[in-house]
Amino acid sequence: MSPGFLKHLSLICQFELKRLFSTRKGLLYLITFALIWYFILLYPIRFAADFLGQQQHTLEGKGFFEFIGFGSLLNWKIPELGVYWHFSLILFPLLAVMISADQTCSDRERGTLRFLCLRVSRDGLFFGRFSGIMLTQALLIFASLLSTLALILYRDASLLPIALDSASAIWLSLFIALLPFTAMMAALSATVQSARQATVWAILIWSFLAGIISLLSSYLPALNNLKLLIPGYQMSALSQLAEWQTLQLAYIPLLQTFVLLSIGRWIMRRQNL
Amino acid sequence: MKSPIIKCHKLDYSYAGKVALSNISFEVTTAEPIGLVGPNGAGKSTLLSILCGFLQNASGIVTLYGHRPGAAALSGRVAALPQDAQLDPTFTIGEQLSFYARLQGLSAQQAQLEASRVLEAVALQDSLKEKPGALSHGMAKRAAIAQALIGKPELILLDEPTAGLDPANTRKIRSIIAELSPATTFIISSHDLTELGRLCQQILLLDKGMMNTMQLNASAADQPTRFLTLQMEPCPITEVLAKFKQISGIVGISNPQKNELIIKYNSAIEAKMDVKIISCINDNNWQYRQLSQGKTLEEKLFFDEA
Repeated sequence: MSPGFLKHLSLICQFELKRLFSTRKGLLYLITFALIWYFILLYPIRFAADFLGQQQHTLEGKGFFEFIGFGSLLNWKIPELGVYWHFSLILFPLLAVMISADQTCSDRERGTLRFLCLRVSRDGLFFGRFSGIMLTQALLIFASLLSTLALILYRDASLLPIALDSASAIWLSLFIALLPFTAMMAALSATVQSARQATVWAILIWSFLAGIISLLSSYLPALNNLKLLIPGYQMSALSQLAEWQTLQLAYIPLLQTFVLLSIGRWIMRRQNL
Repeated sequence: MKSPIIKCHKLDYSYAGKVALSNISFEVTTAEPIGLVGPNGAGKSTLLSILCGFLQNASGIVTLYGHRPGAAALSGRVAALPQDAQLDPTFTIGEQLSFYARLQGLSAQQAQLEASRVLEAVALQDSLKEKPGALSHGMAKRAAIAQALIGKPELILLDEPTAGLDPANTRKIRSIIAELSPATTFIISSHDLTELGRLCQQILLLDKGMMNTMQLNASAADQPTRFLTLQMEPCPITEVLAKFKQISGIVGISNPQKNELIIKYNSAIEAKMDVKIISCINDNNWQYRQLSQGKTLEEKLFFDEA
């Protein structure tokens, strides 16, 4: 008997994890990711956290951070996680675009998708790949947070309960923030012929769509609400929030994900293989 | 009532305004292998792609075992060798075939055994841990055929299965098809008419998007006019034709290709015409390569005027 939708989803997710952890390309990606985070931890996070720790209790220090636009860093109970949060809001969306640009396009061009679609529905394949990439990213966020926690505990082991609580908030908020980026790439990947094209389209969508909406909203201000549909729209506001408050804006990426996945599913169902 | 294996009714399909298939209607009810032939661009691959559910927006009715192409109910029942489709170069052949088997509902252990079984069936058991990039064109084709055999499907659609294969592997594929029929129904698209003539009882002929059906086993026993196809070794062909025309019962002889003759005769006048022909060849010390009843498939499909 053919397995159901959820079983297919789980099998495709497992295969995507295998792609990351047991293929040469995946391992190369992991090594690059680990190296980037090693340097971020070693220099920006460690030094910035030391600096913040010294300055956050002085009036001048607070004023300085407010002045340069990083006042929100002081709202974090643990400085390392505050710095991590700011870095990850820039770095992870970029990584999300890179890692998820080729969800279906090269398989479609090569004809591999034909082998798969004889065994699994297009919905199963589309959502399976999306879930697999999200699971991969969830693990990568978890790994980077774990290394940051290790750095915090090395400094002060008594911070473990607070650090765990803050790290959980970050993990969940980041996971939600990455959903629309991955959903956008899923939709683009279902349309274009290569990962490179999908990335170029993503950049065009960000720059042109934001520009066009800004232009149109100068005539009709109500149109400014359309910016809600651009992945990453809430990022600058999100960087000003700390701890569990970061979930206050979760409705935006969730709404974007719903819309983008619906578009992607529509494309995938109508696409010739 | 049992649904036909394949049912197409008034199927139309166009690529960017260009008609690829027009008003195609046919039913497949027999489990015997069926050949799909036609010139390049006739719409064979398009038809197979529609049957597999790869192409959307075809108008008309298409069902496989009563389900629309691509339906979840067909997973594991219908398999295919799509034209030019390749396996993922990132994973080994074994990993991919096991994954496909798991998607069809097999357990992890069963899936590994099934991957080994189908690779053995196409003589690629040593390539289980190879990546697709390490395979030659012929081996990659056989690996793609192996994926179609996973889980013993009821219907397998093969698009050019022997194109690019050497004679030994062509024979291997032919024996797989013969072995699995009629438990598995094969629809084979090919330009190799000799191949199809050996395997198929029914031929679907597609030309310019239109379809004709031909039964190859239609009995000619009750028809007085019959044909023989004779392939001669190098011989004085004018003399051969002149001698054959003197045999009573021969209605006409054509010479479509070098040293090949198609002899039309009346069986009511001479029932054992093949014996007469061979006697004539012996009497004149000529050599022949092959004598067969009826016309070749190529002659029947593309050049038949009778």
